[in-house]
Amino acid sequence: MQIAIASGKGGVGKSSVTASLVYLLKDTYKLIAIDADADAPNLDLLFNVEKWEEEKELTGAKIAKINTETCIQCGICAERCPYDCINFIDGDYVVNELTCEGCGVCRLVCPVKGVITLEEVRSGIIRKTTTKYNFPLISAQLDVGRPNSGKLVTEEKEWAKKIMKEQNLEHMIVDSAAGIGCQVIASLGGADAVILIAEPTPASLSDVKRVYKVVQHFREPAYLIINKADLNPGFRRLHEFAEEEDIPIIGEIPYDRAVPKSMTMLQPVNEAFPQSKASKALKEIAKIVEEEILR
Amino acid sequence: MQIAVSGGKGGTGKSTIAINLAIALKEYFDLVLADLDVEAPNDHILLNVELQNEEPVHMFMPHFDYSKCIKCKKCAEICEENAIITMKDGTPFLIPTLCSGCRGCEIVCPVPEAILERQKTMGHTYLTNTVYGFPLITGKLLEGEERAMPIVVAAKERAQKLKKELLLVDTAAGTSNTVSKALENSKLLIAVTEPTPLGLHDLELILKLADLMGIETWIVLNRSSLGNREGVQKVAKEYGVKIVAEIPYSENIIHSYIEGKPIVLSENKEAEVFKELAKKVAEYVG
Ligand code: SF4
Ligand code: SF4
Repeated sequence: MQIAIASGKGGVGKSSVTASLVYLLKDTYKLIAIDADADAPNLDLLFNVEKWEEEKELTGAKIAKINTETCIQCGICAERCPYDCINFIDGDYVVNELTCEGCGVCRLVCPVKGVITLEEVRSGIIRKTTTKYNFPLISAQLDVGRPNSGKLVTEEKEWAKKIMKEQNLEHMIVDSAAGIGCQVIASLGGADAVILIAEPTPASLSDVKRVYKVVQHFREPAYLIINKADLNPGFRRLHEFAEEEDIPIIGEIPYDRAVPKSMTMLQPVNEAFPQSKASKALKEIAKIVEEEILR
Repeated sequence: MQIAVSGGKGGTGKSTIAINLAIALKEYFDLVLADLDVEAPNDHILLNVELQNEEPVHMFMPHFDYSKCIKCKKCAEICEENAIITMKDGTPFLIPTLCSGCRGCEIVCPVPEAILERQKTMGHTYLTNTVYGFPLITGKLLEGEERAMPIVVAAKERAQKLKKELLLVDTAAGTSNTVSKALENSKLLIAVTEPTPLGLHDLELILKLADLMGIETWIVLNRSSLGNREGVQKVAKEYGVKIVAEIPYSENIIHSYIEGKPIVLSENKEAEVFKELAKKVAEYVG
């Protein structure tokens, strides 16, 4: 079974909740965890990973290069670039490698053959390890300035599926990327269930509503966890949203300083402070996840 | 002139800092704030305003006129996204979700008007008047659309068109190319981070990007009382950037966040941090 955990944006505690859930479920179930937030991965930090067993570079992203020797400086490429990535700098037309999307339009409109080429560049790295808790973890890191790609996430999932077969694992838990773009779409695609995490603030509500629309595209069953629930007790709009959309709320986690503390200790909160308020709530949630989702 | 607020992962307080800084900077500049976190724009929520003046961001998508198409397959061959598949006889078909709207196919098609333009809406930009004396530009990607870049470009252009003295950009989290696009042409980058291992990891990435782009960077340390400050100081030193402000962990900030009342306008002592930061920024960018 594939479970994705999403929030529409980082910062609401998605990774700390994911880390704890995985930590609580790891002994009963044979699972693999995937960190799909290639822009800012952190599950490896929370599971205290020190080294990677295997790494793969992901190429395939392309960027344009202008050969300044043969360029006749007509400027058509700069004019036609849909994303405004070509600038005239010190007497030459230059592609900004940090913003180029690799669409190739500049090459097509360039009147001189061969001046502009598309070159493959590394878009990032995917890596695998076995955590000290004995379940495998796959994580990715996007290189600085590369397009955020669903491809990286898709590669991670493919790799995970292979490992699942080899090691006879049952469940894949995907810590989805932030936002709602291609990387999130790739994270949610193919999931059997989605666990949404939100905190009781208008901003988080707006983010989770947006990611839920993406979930609806896939027609995947969704569940909601409210984090830092007691921070804003008068705020009922998350409950209303869940009710309107028929999303079961599978738990509310109180605000607890044990959580940030456990994060600086690089441990899931349930490991660092098993008796804390947050840990107890997470334990209840893990139970519901077992009963309702993993069954 | 443009400056930017960015940072690692979401939740480090980037938007909170952006809106409070914008309000404080109003003392010094005629400005516009642009929320370029198009996948999860929140500045309007923190400023407690409803988005106004919606404009769609359209993207080109090819539409084949099969009565003119000669089935030469050129369009499919050049499409970098493999968004055009061809039947055995060469008839092209579009897979709309893959198309990036680059117009490459239109450019190479040898037959005039075999490829017609069809438009799809990718998202919207908004121009919202706030009660704080500056307008807010927001870019918002439609749910289900994958490409953030066109929205970032459109929102930034709309903000630039206002020709204000200062454009303050709030970027998405991370260091992907949409973040670089948002940062482009900034005279100063305010990198927001937390003194935690996770914050540090993300901070290094944004500093790397700023370095590559040649943008002067300052660090604002949020929730500074939480974790290990030495780590941040070490990274700051390594990259030759300074920590210009520290915001201790504060219940007041959390409450102002929840209530949608910017802390800089309150009587709380935290307001001073933003006022001082604004002063420093104003002195630096002139
Ligand atoms: S390039 Fe033009 S003529 Fe050739 S297959 Fe494509 S649409 Fe048809
Ligand atoms: S516009 Fe670009 S991405 Fe879309 S079909 Fe044409 S060549 Fe492919």
